[in-house]
Amino acid sequence: MRTVAYYKGCLASLSAKELDTSTQALAPKVGLELIELEAVTCCGAGDIHEAEPDYYLHLNARILAYAEATGADTLMTVCNVCTLNLRQANHALKGDAALLERVNDNLVTVGAPPYSGGVEVMHFLWLISVGEGYELLKGAAHKGLKGLKIAPFYGCQILRPSKLLGFEDPDKPESLERIIAACGGEAVDYPAKIKCCGFPIIQAREDVALAELIQPIEQAKEAGADVMVTPCPLCHLSLDAWQSKLRKQTGKDFQMPILHLSQLIGVAAGLDASELKFKRHVVSVSAVTEKLAV
Amino acid sequence: MHDVVVVGAGCAGMRAAIEAFDTGASVGVVSKLHPTRSHSGAAEGGINAALGNAAEDSPEKHAFDTVKGSDYLGDQDAIEILAAEAPGDIYQLEHWGCVFSRNGEGKLAQRPFGAAGSPRTVYSADITGHVLIHVLYEQTMKRMEQGSTPMHVYEEFFAWRLAVEDGRCVGVVCWDLVNGGLRLITGRSVVIATGGMGRIYRVTTNAYACNGDGMAMALHAGVPLKDVEFMQFHPTTLYPSGVLITEACRGEGGYLLNRDGERFMARYAPNALELASRDVVSRSETTEIEAGRDVSGSMLLDLRHLGAERIRTRLPGSRELALTFAGVDPIFDPIPVRPGAHYHMGGIATDNWGATELEGLYAAGEVACVSVHGSNRLGGNSLMETITFGRRAGQAAAERALSAAPAGTVSDVPLVQAQRDLETLLARKDGERPWKIRDELGSSMLENFGVFRYTERMQEQLEIIVALRERYEHVVVEDKGDVFNTDLTQAIELGSMLDVAWCMVQAGLAREESRGSHSRPAEFPERDDERFLKHSVTQWTDGGPELSYKEVRMTKWQPEVRSY
Amino acid sequence: MKVALKIWRYDAVAGERALREYEIDAPVEATLLDCLDIVKDRVDGTLAYRKSCRMMICGSCGMRMDGAAVLACKVRMSEVAEAGHIPVISAMGNMPIVKDLVVDMEPFWGKIRAVTPFLQPGYADPGEKENIVSQQRMDVIHKESLCIMCGCCVSECNSMEADPDFLGPAALAKGMRFVGDARDQATVERLQEYSGEHGIWDCTRCYFCQERCPKGVDPRDAIAKLGAEAVRAGIDSDMGAKHAKWFVTSAKTTGWLRETELVPKTQGIAKSMKEVKFAMGLLRHGKVPPPFPPHVAKHVEEARALYDLVKHDGAQGAAGIVQGEHALSRLEHAEDGGAAAERGPYGPGSFAEPYLPGEETT
Repeated sequence: MRTVAYYKGCLASLSAKELDTSTQALAPKVGLELIELEAVTCCGAGDIHEAEPDYYLHLNARILAYAEATGADTLMTVCNVCTLNLRQANHALKGDAALLERVNDNLVTVGAPPYSGGVEVMHFLWLISVGEGYELLKGAAHKGLKGLKIAPFYGCQILRPSKLLGFEDPDKPESLERIIAACGGEAVDYPAKIKCCGFPIIQAREDVALAELIQPIEQAKEAGADVMVTPCPLCHLSLDAWQSKLRKQTGKDFQMPILHLSQLIGVAAGLDASELKFKRHVVSVSAVTEKLAV
Repeated sequence: MHDVVVVGAGCAGMRAAIEAFDTGASVGVVSKLHPTRSHSGAAEGGINAALGNAAEDSPEKHAFDTVKGSDYLGDQDAIEILAAEAPGDIYQLEHWGCVFSRNGEGKLAQRPFGAAGSPRTVYSADITGHVLIHVLYEQTMKRMEQGSTPMHVYEEFFAWRLAVEDGRCVGVVCWDLVNGGLRLITGRSVVIATGGMGRIYRVTTNAYACNGDGMAMALHAGVPLKDVEFMQFHPTTLYPSGVLITEACRGEGGYLLNRDGERFMARYAPNALELASRDVVSRSETTEIEAGRDVSGSMLLDLRHLGAERIRTRLPGSRELALTFAGVDPIFDPIPVRPGAHYHMGGIATDNWGATELEGLYAAGEVACVSVHGSNRLGGNSLMETITFGRRAGQAAAERALSAAPAGTVSDVPLVQAQRDLETLLARKDGERPWKIRDELGSSMLENFGVFRYTERMQEQLEIIVALRERYEHVVVEDKGDVFNTDLTQAIELGSMLDVAWCMVQAGLAREESRGSHSRPAEFPERDDERFLKHSVTQWTDGGPELSYKEVRMTKWQPEVRSY
Repeated sequence: MKVALKIWRYDAVAGERALREYEIDAPVEATLLDCLDIVKDRVDGTLAYRKSCRMMICGSCGMRMDGAAVLACKVRMSEVAEAGHIPVISAMGNMPIVKDLVVDMEPFWGKIRAVTPFLQPGYADPGEKENIVSQQRMDVIHKESLCIMCGCCVSECNSMEADPDFLGPAALAKGMRFVGDARDQATVERLQEYSGEHGIWDCTRCYFCQERCPKGVDPRDAIAKLGAEAVRAGIDSDMGAKHAKWFVTSAKTTGWLRETELVPKTQGIAKSMKEVKFAMGLLRHGKVPPPFPPHVAKHVEEARALYDLVKHDGAQGAAGIVQGEHALSRLEHAEDGGAAAERGPYGPGSFAEPYLPGEETT
């Protein structure tokens, strides 16, 4: 078993609870022991990074410090945005001793532990798409997905900027496809799988965001996908919850179910309904569950 | 009709245009590239002025270093003007917002450079040309929306020929690259600032756009060129691409090594070592290479001892270039470098205000020869020249335009003639593609008119050029279209290169001495002030280039032995 | 080496597109630009593309290779050729095509001009000599001043694709070049201008611009710096700014994002009322967590205290992003790994240490 510190982030705690329950249920099956971090906050998303960048750095340093304090050397995330934010802060702190010193002074002053740079931030996706995690995944996904046609949606911040993320080729990523294959599904390819879902501006610039959002959903549909899967709960929220707005704006009713990564694997691994929590999705997942007789 | 038409939008062109505009003239800028694409932007190391921020300095010292660097061929009154006005020009650029590097006191930082007695090279890391061209374009964009006759930039207009009427220059015939078609753009004054012609050589730091167009245009309009035989070979061009690795690498303390790791410059310039004048360093390198102490035909520029931090802050551009084009990280390995054609000291003969012998025609920057550089240029002086003399030419051109009697309608004869010649060129179906002629010119010039020159080889080169010009008469342009026809403009550029090359070799053969960057080690190894302390003057005739000579203007300094 | 290319040709006069394949012989160190030159010289003289410096500084040769914007002079072809891959070369995106690989850059330059791209020193008397500015202060705009205006960022901008009027990464980075310049006195006017409908808050944070930029300008970070400065200056009436500020408020009160209140806090009560039906749909699926009781993080008082502490640290506004650039610049080239780094500058296998003639060699 590999022990990792687990940072679930805001959405998995609240509006995307299904992401948390399915991840926690799945983790032991893929060799991961999760130490849930409690004394942490929102990572700030691109918003605090933009509005109060020094505060963003401190909030993320605090998360890293608490993760380090568990004794684990890996901090596991389940969200693209959290991954970029934490990795960016981690690089800045590890690469600049003076900066780390100042931030640590502040952390200690408020009663938090200091950070010494001993943690690597990894998205759950990365832990199970290669190496031992992948082998265990293959074993765990015993129920299979019976050739279900799945459109992987990466989104932005798990791939770019690649010098901060660097897990795979940002233009030709493969991790989701590998996982889909390991679970017995059929990955469907389409150009917009690495483009933006529009979530960051979906409230402030709805029309612009919807013009972005329609691309992956429409292309996935045209490519014959039964379902889409994404490693980011923010992308999930816009793909799933905002599909109704697309229908309202364009008249196109895609009825495309959207799954979190852990749910997709969870289905293949035989998790039950209380762990998968499909009822929480806005676009019904019933077409998929029927096909797979879940 | 504009008051002032500026041809070329690099540092000299834009500075001239800005000054002309600020003097009250209506200005049209003609450029075959978008202004920020001009080759000035590729300059790296810095721009010289006696500010005295790094150490004690004075315009007089700057002038002397320049005079000595020119191997006493520079016109000293022009050099004194450059040295005196440079500080004010630099401060003006800074007031416009130029992003220069700063020293510990927040003043403009200055670094040591080749053949400079005091560190006076103002810089921005190692991308000085880039920040200069962008501050000038910012000021250009400002004036493009200012006043009742805002500045107009004819972007991607290829200037081909000057229009001359009644002994006055009245405009320039251009090919509209984006839409196609010839246009005559007229002006009461015309300033040529089209840069150099390094592309005549196969190994060059210069951009594709540097073909000597402006020099050829002036030549064919009857304007004389000065000192055409003097081509500077920059000692540290990257192997194999020829891309510039700035002198600033040596200014920051880099070493030049041969195959054995020896700092060979100690044998050639015991005092200045790597920071000797560029011609001295290029000759030293070539000697080492010819003696077999090279690594793949190159010497090695060693920055390892500077440390990663210094390289990353002061020389990041050079590091990027070495990594991308040679696969070498200068933090860990030395960079392979060799001499490459870099800068042309000669050019269109002008006075100290940029005026040529043709009324209404001015020139500034690398295309001009005032002469501030004589037979060899100091690093950092070229950028300064573009600003100081660009400004002066712009001012003079504007004042003349504003005081000249209003011109009547300009004849369209040059336009009609150009149209006919164009049709002849485009009509040709069978013939040779230009690239072969271009490649052969480039290789032969490097071989026969490079760092070291020999009588027999120069004579051979003249024959080669004549033969190439013959073949050029039958060159074929494949693209017959109107839209973005660079096949056409590249063919025309080749013609300019051949003409200018001919002038260069002829003048080089006639100069029977070694001075500055013109070195004849076998036949005339010494400088001959008695016979050749004078500028060569080339004029174009129907039979080809014709040579004469002109006095060097001396104010303070008499020629001395030049050693570093 | 043999290089094969597929190039999207475009004839504007006839309005026709066609994908053509070319196979050429090129030297092993050839770049994509070198290969295009060989095609134009020896195979098809009608191929149109821009070029000049061939050393990544003029910005002429921006184009797409396999759908991603690159500088043609920066791409070494040896790896591509060795892998037997035939890349598809096309013109940059988000700009109209003039011919083949040449785009009309006028929309690009128009947006640059729209941000007032020249220093506005106001009534400050420049004095005779230079303005005194420390290197550290100049470093605030170091990255933005690297921009060569190649258009690669604009080509890939997801926001601009959806909203063609978006000022875009290049123009906003240019704007930050001035906002961060100590000598410019028009900061407030600029921030107000850039905070308009098609400005800072239009950016979708896809980071394509940052990924594609060949010079390391990091335009998305420049936009974030503008956002930071705008919020600091109180120029925050845009919904995007309100959205961002609510994250800050959430973090320092409950630690976790107060999702439910995010909508009215961003869009205002009036607009949110129109969203009631949509919100009801989300509520039914539990996507709208009830604001009470608030979901409070453990030891949230630490986060609250941190907020007050950092206010006094002097890394306000854009400085909060600039401070990380020193460390992040090391990521440009894999310096902390690689064979060269392992042996060090003078380790076994490195080139000899330099010596002066006559010095004793060890």
